[in-house]
Amino acid sequence: MTITEQPVVPAPRGSHRLTTAKAMVEAIEQEMERDPTVFYLGEDVGPYGGIFSSTAGLQEKFGTDRVIDTPISETAFIGLAIGAAVEGMRPIAELMFADFMGVCLDQIYNHMAKIHYESGGNVKVPMVLTTAVGGGYSDAAQHSQCLWGTFAHLPGMKVVVPSNPYDAKGLMTSAIRDDNPVVYMFHKGVMGLPWMAKNPRATADVPDGDYTVPIGEAQVVRPGSDVTLVTLSLSVHHALDAAESLMGQGIDVEVIDLRSLVPLDREAILGSVAKTGRLVVVDEDYRSFGLTGEVAATVTDVDPGMLRAPVARVANPDTPIPYSRPLEHTVLPRQDRIEAAVHRVARA
Amino acid sequence: MTEVPFPPLSKESPEAEGVVSTWFVSDGEPVQADQLLAEVQVDKVAAEVPAPRAGTVHLLVEEEATVTQGAPIARID
Repeated sequence: MTITEQPVVPAPRGSHRLTTAKAMVEAIEQEMERDPTVFYLGEDVGPYGGIFSSTAGLQEKFGTDRVIDTPISETAFIGLAIGAAVEGMRPIAELMFADFMGVCLDQIYNHMAKIHYESGGNVKVPMVLTTAVGGGYSDAAQHSQCLWGTFAHLPGMKVVVPSNPYDAKGLMTSAIRDDNPVVYMFHKGVMGLPWMAKNPRATADVPDGDYTVPIGEAQVVRPGSDVTLVTLSLSVHHALDAAESLMGQGIDVEVIDLRSLVPLDREAILGSVAKTGRLVVVDEDYRSFGLTGEVAATVTDVDPGMLRAPVARVANPDTPIPYSRPLEHTVLPRQDRIEAAVHRVARA
Repeated sequence: MTEVPFPPLSKESPEAEGVVSTWFVSDGEPVQADQLLAEVQVDKVAAEVPAPRAGTVHLLVEEEATVTQGAPIARID
């Protein structure tokens, strides 16, 4: 896999307020207008507009040839997208829930992710695989997982995970234009959906025109001096809430939104920990063999001496996601668990 | 002055109540015709509310407020 050079395009003048879902749709719409080889396919992406509003209004605008409702046949339609990409188109295939990866994983990790490698770099697969992730709304064990650690673990795919409207639009534009397969994972809790719990951080100003957010670049979303908190997706929102609360208790937390898992911006992690000497990693995915360990190893591989306290990991404690709301909130990395971890690391 | 009503989302019950989920504009902001003003929902059916004309928008209800279909939610002067 190559890492495509993507210069930052400055945001043009003029902006408007959007939810994360609408920002994602706007990027797809602008790229479909710009490039006739871009098309979208998946379950309920047509008149329904995506069950988490990832394609609202697109079929009405571009017709049924370019926004295609598929049967429940993930292996077939992801395979179709791979074939179209190999032939030079830029498909976006939607896997309705990341939890459903099991029914089509061969197409994803044996074909989409490996054709570039197996062909000695001669055949490109410029497609995007979009998928909804995350819990917190009682959708239980088969519809609440994040699983980004699994996608990131399998080589050959870029993996991006936006947490807000600006990044959702810019990362989608980058993903579509990238010559590699990109997995674009949107958490239902950051989309600003009217029927989910109200999330003020899911609505923000977005530039009118097209722009890109570079894949592989993390962002310091809150500078701080005492503790580095590395996280992504909806957990960024919980982390920012926790950081505000901790500021009142005399602890200044630096929050890093990874935005991309592959490639991982290790420099951003190392730069921050070099400054604070203390690291908390917050991840809504499973704890073992996953992102929290990878981020911790990013530091210890280079210089364990940077750390003035053991790393704290806040993640799902290796259990399926419960349906019961109190139990679900117990396993998810929410503000109370994040604050406790920061206190532990700050005191050590 | 033009009133912007909560759109009719339930045909079965004209008196159905819905919620203004998100305002995309601020009170007193100048808006263009067709600009997205709000997203509303009845049960799990969501709808966008565009500006019927250009002007200065005045918001008549808070976000998350419950409104009967057809009732005014904003005014454009």
